Amino acid sequence: MVASVASSAFFPASSSSSVVSAKASLPVGDGPQSMGVRGIVAKPTLSSGAMRVKAQAPAKASLKSEAHTVEEDSPSSARTFYNQLPDWSFLFAAITTIFLAAEKQFTLIDWKPRRPDMLADAFGLGKIMQDGLVFRQNFSIRSYEIGVDRTASIETLMNHLQETALNHVRRVGLMGDGYGCTPEMSKRNLIWVVAKMQILVEKYPSWEDVVEIDTWVAASGKNGMRRDWHVRDYRTGQTVMQATSVWVMMNKHTRRLSKIPEEVRAEIGSYFMDRDPILDEDSRKFPKLEANTADHVQRGLTPRWNDLDVNQHVNNVKYIGWILESAPITILESHELATMTLEYKRECGWGSVLQSLTAISDDDDNAGDSAKPGIECQHLLCLESGTEIMRGRTEWRPKRAQGLQPKS
Amino acid sequence: MPAMLWCSTSRGPIRSREATPAAQCGRLRNWAGVRCACKAFSGLEVAVAAAAAVAARDKGVGEKALAERLRLGSLLPDGLSYKECFIVRCYEVGINKTATVETIANLLQEVGGSHAQSVGFSTDGFATTPTMRKLGLIWVTSRMHIEIYKYPAWGEVIEIETWCQSDGRMGTRRDWILWDLATGEVIGRATSKWVMMNEKTRKLQRVSDEVREEVFVHCPRTPRLAFPEENNGSLKKIPKLDNPAQYSRLGLVPRRADLDMNQHVNNVTYIGWVLESIPQEIIDTHELQTITLDYRRECQHDDVVDSLTSPEVSENGNTNGVVSSSPFVHDQDLQQFLHFLRLSGSSLEINRGRTVWRKLAR
Repeated sequence: MVASVASSAFFPASSSSSVVSAKASLPVGDGPQSMGVRGIVAKPTLSSGAMRVKAQAPAKASLKSEAHTVEEDSPSSARTFYNQLPDWSFLFAAITTIFLAAEKQFTLIDWKPRRPDMLADAFGLGKIMQDGLVFRQNFSIRSYEIGVDRTASIETLMNHLQETALNHVRRVGLMGDGYGCTPEMSKRNLIWVVAKMQILVEKYPSWEDVVEIDTWVAASGKNGMRRDWHVRDYRTGQTVMQATSVWVMMNKHTRRLSKIPEEVRAEIGSYFMDRDPILDEDSRKFPKLEANTADHVQRGLTPRWNDLDVNQHVNNVKYIGWILESAPITILESHELATMTLEYKRECGWGSVLQSLTAISDDDDNAGDSAKPGIECQHLLCLESGTEIMRGRTEWRPKRAQGLQPKS
Repeated sequence: MPAMLWCSTSRGPIRSREATPAAQCGRLRNWAGVRCACKAFSGLEVAVAAAAAVAARDKGVGEKALAERLRLGSLLPDGLSYKECFIVRCYEVGINKTATVETIANLLQEVGGSHAQSVGFSTDGFATTPTMRKLGLIWVTSRMHIEIYKYPAWGEVIEIETWCQSDGRMGTRRDWILWDLATGEVIGRATSKWVMMNEKTRKLQRVSDEVREEVFVHCPRTPRLAFPEENNGSLKKIPKLDNPAQYSRLGLVPRRADLDMNQHVNNVTYIGWVLESIPQEIIDTHELQTITLDYRRECQHDDVVDSLTSPEVSENGNTNGVVSSSPFVHDQDLQQFLHFLRLSGSSLEINRGRTVWRKLAR
């Protein structure tokens, strides 16, 4: 289903262009989105007789027969064939647009909302901005995404980032086989693999808050890709979270890093924005961390069926849940996660058994600084054999008021 | 006239629905932005009315109205049930490229919560009425039964309708029907039983008339069942597994993410645990059609759980001779299992369950 979407991903663009051409001759004030309704209304010369025929026509009638019906039932007024032709061709174009739009509405595979702003993203399908460079999508926080402290968990927010990234790729027509791979990449068995992720959370949303997420990509060095996200409160525009990530290209069979082939660069290069990373790079090294020096260790972590993605690998976001499993409960109860820096080393799948180690940093810089009662932790997620899966650093601040709205 | 086109095409695929035409068009309104009058107005009048409605809607909408619209769910015109649409997100999709049963269960829970909130019940996760809160009473799930006929894929939109009604002296039930929004076909049904419990003593309580009035004013007076057919699976008793169980997965631990707002393991986590002890050959070749869970005990963060599974032998002794409640599947393609979740190393029962699996058409 995903593969078939790619071919039709450009439909919205082509339909709006035909709508726009039809619009040119109409005195309509609104944007092209509402073309379908008003296009018929504002055309003063259409005879009501012809319109009644239209209404009775079966919805799935082919466009050709519609055109014939229209022409056969021409009004009996004294208009020459020559005078009539531009009217009918316009009518045909408008009718075509409406029927195609209606059909698309009901197939819904690449349904593109036509209403401006708010209801335009009715189902959270998102929209392309700036010619495909930026993708924007809304998410309403669902009740099962809320954690023990009644705010959206960091995993929920990270899941939303993942969803917008995939939807961006799909909507600009770059979704080849599989998730996030362009057609040229799929041909060469290349995949994008996340190497580094950095986030900064300003405020955690709670149930029924709506967040708006913008995402875009940029080059990262010569052969990497950077994807940034900016999460805002939909209602106020206030920043909720910022995130930046670095991706490398890898052969999915040999697991070796790869340069970006020219053909792939041709596909995606034009989408790379010339923008600084939304967060300054945290390039501090991760100190050595072992079970006997860690402050907290959680063993026996195993993936469940629900943790696996379509490639039968554990979803990246689950790792975050695991590293937080060994964060001390005292920190979790009084503090909230403010920043996180993650380095992904290896994937794991069904049957892996992992351990999560946490060490609380001696934060010498902040010692005695009462204005910054923050806590910093170092994390390591590894297999029982010692193979590193992920390294992380988290900074915590005392809990703030919850949710994005002043709720009673 | 274009508005009428929307309506006429919509009524086509949605034949199976019980909703009134007004409700159907109300649903369309959310995403077409055009109020369908469902009457034989001329094209001009309908379109002008639509334009006016659109203009009015976009101007000065109140905060509450905005929240209602953004939520995308609403009470049906008769106020007795609630409907909401959800799009399947990429991370809710499992190894079969379709939504997992946990995702479906989460959405059922979400729409139930939204319904409760829209009729004014509490939002603390317990959906309590004012009287219940005064008396320290909460609703607790006692049984959950979900049937899925077609799993939705990433990007598809599901529409769920839910309602509740009384269930004997001790409890209430909540029913759901799920549709694929694009095709209008029913893709699943579910029902759940709830009992009232004292929050502190954890003892069951009868539903008093006072509470009954508060709750059931929002529920259909005449019984409306998601599973109206007799002998449906939602009513079948679940026997205890034979000892020893054929398959097991021991030492399952709740994660922090499994805990709900009230520090108990979320109902949906139990579904995941039940599936942990299903043999890999079934997971690879079948998909879950039905799951029934009886909840006996709650679980907290420090508990450790064992998941046990055995094939269920039907009356004629043949594990494959399972009667299907779905019209879509032939009986010999079904596998049926009994499940037991217990506190690790003890016999204390947390849940018991039954699952029915149908062969994947690969």
